[in-house]
Amino acid sequence: MGETIVIGLANGGIYGLLALGIVLVYKGSRVLNFAQGEIGGLGLYLAWAIVEKGHQPWILGALAAVVACGMLGALFERLVVRPLIDAPRLTVTVATIGLLLLMIGIELHVSHGSPEILRGPIEGLGPKIAGFYVSPTRILALAALLVIGLGLATFLRRTDFGLGVLAASQDATATRLMGIPLKRVSMFTWVAAGMLGAIAALLIEPQIGAFAPGNPMTALFVRGLAAALLGGLTSLPGAFVGGLGIGVIESVVGDRFVTSTFPGIQTVAVMIVVVLVLLLRPQGILGRSRA
Amino acid sequence: MKRGARYVAVLLVCSALPPILGRAGVLSSLRSVELSIAFCTAAAAISLNIIMGYAGQISLGHGAFLGIGAFTSGLLTLKGPQVPFMVGVLAAAIAGGLFAIVLGLPALRLRGLYLAIATVGFAFMMQESLFKWSRITGGSAGIEVPRPRANAFVFTRDYDYLAIVLAMFVLFWALDSNLVRSKLGRAFLAIRWDEPVAQSFGIDVSRYKLGAFVLAGALGGVSGAMFAHQYQFVNSSTFDFNNTSLLLVIIVVVGGLGSRVGATIAAISFSLMPGLLSWLKGWDLIVGPVLLMYVVVRHPRGLGAAMRERAEARARGSKVVTAEQSMPKLPAMPRPAAVAGRPEVLPGAPLLEVLDVSVRFGGLQALDGVSLTVPKGSIVGLIGPNGAGKTTFFNAVSGMVRPDAGAVRFVGADITKSPPHERVGLGIGRTFQLIGLAKDLSVRDNFLLAQHLFAGYGSASALLALPRATRVERELGERADQAIEALGFERFRDTPVLSLSHGQQRIVELGCALVTAPDLLLLDEPSAGMSPAAAESLAERLRDIRDELGRTVLLIEHNIPLVLDVCDEISVLNFGRILAHGTTADIARDPTVLGAYFGEAVVA
Repeated sequence: MGETIVIGLANGGIYGLLALGIVLVYKGSRVLNFAQGEIGGLGLYLAWAIVEKGHQPWILGALAAVVACGMLGALFERLVVRPLIDAPRLTVTVATIGLLLLMIGIELHVSHGSPEILRGPIEGLGPKIAGFYVSPTRILALAALLVIGLGLATFLRRTDFGLGVLAASQDATATRLMGIPLKRVSMFTWVAAGMLGAIAALLIEPQIGAFAPGNPMTALFVRGLAAALLGGLTSLPGAFVGGLGIGVIESVVGDRFVTSTFPGIQTVAVMIVVVLVLLLRPQGILGRSRA
Repeated sequence: MKRGARYVAVLLVCSALPPILGRAGVLSSLRSVELSIAFCTAAAAISLNIIMGYAGQISLGHGAFLGIGAFTSGLLTLKGPQVPFMVGVLAAAIAGGLFAIVLGLPALRLRGLYLAIATVGFAFMMQESLFKWSRITGGSAGIEVPRPRANAFVFTRDYDYLAIVLAMFVLFWALDSNLVRSKLGRAFLAIRWDEPVAQSFGIDVSRYKLGAFVLAGALGGVSGAMFAHQYQFVNSSTFDFNNTSLLLVIIVVVGGLGSRVGATIAAISFSLMPGLLSWLKGWDLIVGPVLLMYVVVRHPRGLGAAMRERAEARARGSKVVTAEQSMPKLPAMPRPAAVAGRPEVLPGAPLLEVLDVSVRFGGLQALDGVSLTVPKGSIVGLIGPNGAGKTTFFNAVSGMVRPDAGAVRFVGADITKSPPHERVGLGIGRTFQLIGLAKDLSVRDNFLLAQHLFAGYGSASALLALPRATRVERELGERADQAIEALGFERFRDTPVLSLSHGQQRIVELGCALVTAPDLLLLDEPSAGMSPAAAESLAERLRDIRDELGRTVLLIEHNIPLVLDVCDEISVLNFGRILAHGTTADIARDPTVLGAYFGEAVVA
């Protein structure tokens, strides 16, 4: 049971990272970003090319992936989101589906569909905690999550620009009147979303083993979405805690209830939680209700 | 009948051509498969367009309904019963509709993005549970699905099956076009524009939303069955999230929400795209999405909207929309037969009685024990400063807000718990501060919407355009045209309300409110935004409503000269309480009223 929960927390933190990206973009552009997972998926291919094909250190590949995914977010913001600033939000959401398909398309083009493996940054069994081994990647993941979560929270709450980002979702006009350019807020959220997607992908990959076009990042996107929803779509701490919750639920259900008749029971459990939260507490577990 | 005959002709041609062309060697099997899949996709897009385009409810999990229909028809035609194709298709429709109720009932509580996410959840739940339930659906191994047969003839050849698909598509097209010409389609569009406005037209919003879900689910199920019998196979990933649900959303949005033609064109282009881009040799997977994003950025409202705008721009060249006009005489419409049986009260007797009504929003006591009686045949004014609770009072009377305490009685009957659309049926009409019309629809459509409760025909006759529906629609249309003529608005008949001036919109709104012959008319600041000349003529029109049409009016108004001019009685509301009530002459002299309204200084 203990191991199940630790695995759940570690995976959940990664869902939480994706959820942070989803919430940031939602705050900045009122758009559901379907490409949130798959941007990181493409980043994995870049890291894989540098590390496994180019025989460079893991950290180099990882950095390249994070930077490239941030640039991808910036590019999408500049070329698609900004021209559509007055368009219906559903239209922009459809554009993110286009981005998702583009990512998968590029991945298929470079990989021809076969799964690849990117080894983790540190190998070995790792230390034994409470009677079982916790892999070094998992420890790294948890540490990275803490650093990123706290760093992002500090940046958003302690800087004027960060507060502008938080305020933009509540009242775009007021934010503009306070002297925070909405264009920069939007750009920031998309760059952050891209980088968060890459980090999430890099941290989850060693625990899943292999990756392929659209896999596992699309499935992870759904979990990130569920996590974001538990936070009411607008709360950043809520999204993170929601991620941990989703991770634990999935891990426990997967451990206890998976049978060959229902191989996808974890996803179903996550979705049931989503629908229940939507119906009983649409503002999310930690989200504040809107008047 | 002419339209019906045309559809039969198109249907016959569509189903005769592929087998003939196929046998003549013109239409290859490969082409047939491509076309068949394209038209199955178009059918699925038409079904999604009903819920997303017309009713405005974002549904991102439509693939689940296709899967339900595919498995239902597949299992029934293959195993055990081996029912005929048409029975399988019918069962697919029923199964799709039933699951739509399962999704739709909880979805009634959700709006916008939350609903969208719930539909994603639904799609994944179906995909991961029912569709992977290996004992029934074969899981990833899937099940085989037989081609339809008629006696000894089996539609094995792809061009023969294409004939069936095309025939089904023509049926989809006909159903959808009947839908938008009926009260169902209009109700969906009104809900998409604004739910309170739809309620004020007497539309039961929950019922119609659920109806849109069921219709979309049923037709989605049928399109899934069409796919399955084409593939002759279905498994848990045939209708997976990315490739079905999201693709259909793309198609409907790129086609332009609510545009059947746009959705069809987009569906066919997207299905034929891989074939058309095959010369790109693997680059098509990259070029396709880039093309998609380009189209979305160029036409954010979709191809349908782009086509409509072009047509409207062409039509506008000949039309001149005048800026402002004084209020024309409102139509003295005969009471529709459907209203005849309503109970009546004698002039002067209380028509509306509001007893001790309180409404609380969180920490704000919007109404605090408000009582008010409106005698039949009078104009009662409700005045008070901004935030006094006037509009909340209207909402409590029209049913859009449920009071925490107190009672509302109309013609002697307690209606405190009746939903808004029922109150419209009882004879309470209302207008809104910000114009209660479906502004993206034409003037005529709004007059048809206003008569929603008199459209006495069922959903089946609406969808099949049965004689009863056609006859009733013709009558409604005649009444609408009479009303438009009485207002002198003939040249704006097909103009979207949005492109009229504010004053003109107000005139149309009043006309719509009167066309249903309500006994009580709630008017929320009718003079707001009107020119002084128009506001002056408004006073005369209000008296017409009372004296010539015999209606009762409850009026919220900030234009005090207008109130003093037309009202028989006035109530003054302040901080959610009735400050004073009396005849117009009394109120004009009341010092507390003058104090609240104009400030103590003026009184002193």
